[in-house]
Amino acid sequence: MTQSDYSPTAIQEEAVVIDQQPVAHLTYRLRLEAPRMAGKARCGQFLMLQVRDGLEPLLRRPLSFHRILPEEGAVELLYRVMGRGTWLLSRTAPGMRLSLLGPLGNGFILPQDLGRPVAVVAGGIGIAPLMELLARLDTQRRERGLSGRTAHLFYGARTAAELLPDEAFSGLDIALHRSTDDGTAGFSGRVTQLLKETAEALSLPFQELFACGPLAMQYHVAQWAAAQGISAQLSLESLMACGLGACLGCALPAPSPHEPGADHYAHVCKDGPIFKGDAILWHKIRQPHMPHPTFLYS
Amino acid sequence: MAQDPATSHAAPDLSVQLGPLRLKNPVLTASGTFGYGREYADFVDPGRLGAVVVKGISLLPRAGNPPPRLVETPAGLINAIGLENVGVEAFLRDKLPYLRKRQATVIVNIFGNTIEEYEALAARLDGAEGVSAIEINISCPNVKQGGMVFGTDPDMAARVVEAARRATHLPLITKLTPNVTRMADIARAAVDAGSDILSCINTVAAMAVDAFSRRPKLANVVGGLSGPAIKPIALRCTYEVAQAVSCPVIGIGGIVEATDALEFLLVGARAVQVGTATFIRPRAVQEIIDGIERFLRVEGIERVEDYIGTLDTKCLFPFAEAACEVVAEEMAQ
Repeated sequence: MTQSDYSPTAIQEEAVVIDQQPVAHLTYRLRLEAPRMAGKARCGQFLMLQVRDGLEPLLRRPLSFHRILPEEGAVELLYRVMGRGTWLLSRTAPGMRLSLLGPLGNGFILPQDLGRPVAVVAGGIGIAPLMELLARLDTQRRERGLSGRTAHLFYGARTAAELLPDEAFSGLDIALHRSTDDGTAGFSGRVTQLLKETAEALSLPFQELFACGPLAMQYHVAQWAAAQGISAQLSLESLMACGLGACLGCALPAPSPHEPGADHYAHVCKDGPIFKGDAILWHKIRQPHMPHPTFLYS
Repeated sequence: MAQDPATSHAAPDLSVQLGPLRLKNPVLTASGTFGYGREYADFVDPGRLGAVVVKGISLLPRAGNPPPRLVETPAGLINAIGLENVGVEAFLRDKLPYLRKRQATVIVNIFGNTIEEYEALAARLDGAEGVSAIEINISCPNVKQGGMVFGTDPDMAARVVEAARRATHLPLITKLTPNVTRMADIARAAVDAGSDILSCINTVAAMAVDAFSRRPKLANVVGGLSGPAIKPIALRCTYEVAQAVSCPVIGIGGIVEATDALEFLLVGARAVQVGTATFIRPRAVQEIIDGIERFLRVEGIERVEDYIGTLDTKCLFPFAEAACEVVAEEMAQ
């Protein structure tokens, strides 16, 4: 293998923690100095992060890029403490080193026509990969001198404390619609309901929809988008061991390209993490209930 | 000025002979952890590895088990992938050319639901250019038919190996399961039936459940444990199998660094496979090869084969023995 004919798509990089801040309930924003990763990553891709050296916890954690800042040689990750790995990560201090593997996966395809409205739907920590998307859409519109807001962010969580503060979106020229399941902030109810009602009330002709959040939310969003004839790009997640397509652990039921009706699995790391709404056989997913043992970590 | 011990000796010979199979070094990838090689093209030149053992191949493509297929445990990983693979024809057509182009030594891990399927697979691979050996998987804990059923019974294991032996001249490696009472019985049966080499261990049958949801963490309910958690078990199994048979043994289980690999060589393995570690460090296999080379230089060992099986079990407590000698001398005075 010579250097000249070989250009790796994924790299391993030792990142330095620049800053880590709690930004919502059990939610942290981690800023890393990782110039090579920042130079290669695309919006919607992810990386595999080792939360600390050693054999425990054993595996890297897949995390999406929250912000990609090549000029500053930095990337930002947003995560919620869900278990031991993310809890350990929340204890990481500036100056510490973390091993990154990435960028991985396919990434979002940004819409060509920036004049038409775009729906961005985030559920809870699902805001993580969508922030970079919103920033890209915003930058592209500015570069082309377009005026008027076309990006609509529908951002829901269970309760107000789990939402990022409004300041997180202050630099973006977007229409922000918030919801909470318990009514402590914004619309009272599910974000999917808010999406439907707002789209109807404002008769917004969405051309493209982007979403990330709990599986049930993504399913409802995909169904709604399909009924409206809107193309949907969903950022899905899975437990992963390698992130490179070798372990085959991150399988999701998908339509078989060869035999209709036959069992077939897509892999979140290679075929995703961004999937079209109809690329997943939702009714075949048997996801276990993801517990939120927050009392263990708060 | 003192010379760096790592450069004070000539480059050691890392090559090993495993029965009919000669390998450029003793470190191989473990089946199911390196895909078909290309998955790690960004990190590893497969041509520099001892061999690439590819993901288990069946006659026809297999979709594998429903998710969730993985769960992380302390220093370990339980998987129940269910042998998802592209099937032997797609492997030969789409996957093997990359490994051949990279001049990798390729070992094809095969899996069948029936003895006839093992035989057909061995026959199909017999004539394939670029295949150096076959590893017979009779030890997968994650499939309902075949798999571990063959590996837990000496007679069944022998019948599978005999069938493959009839169908091919390629070197045959039989991969053993630790989920039996006496591995040595299965090992001897496989060797008597014509296996040239044994590899051990496959994953340890394991389980994880969720206290909150009260559900199993794997859709398959049970799976196979790999990673550093199983290394001591794997080392004991490799030691016992190497004692029981005269054919070469490949040690597998929880190898993360070069010293882990050396420990397996010490107890009698003539080569090792590295699996789960690759998921965390994509270059793990190459790093372990480099680490072994450095170890041999520092120790002044010319050939890795000189180190294999040199475990000293006669004098377990050299300090105590030396101390006793001193006391005995003093008493005699």
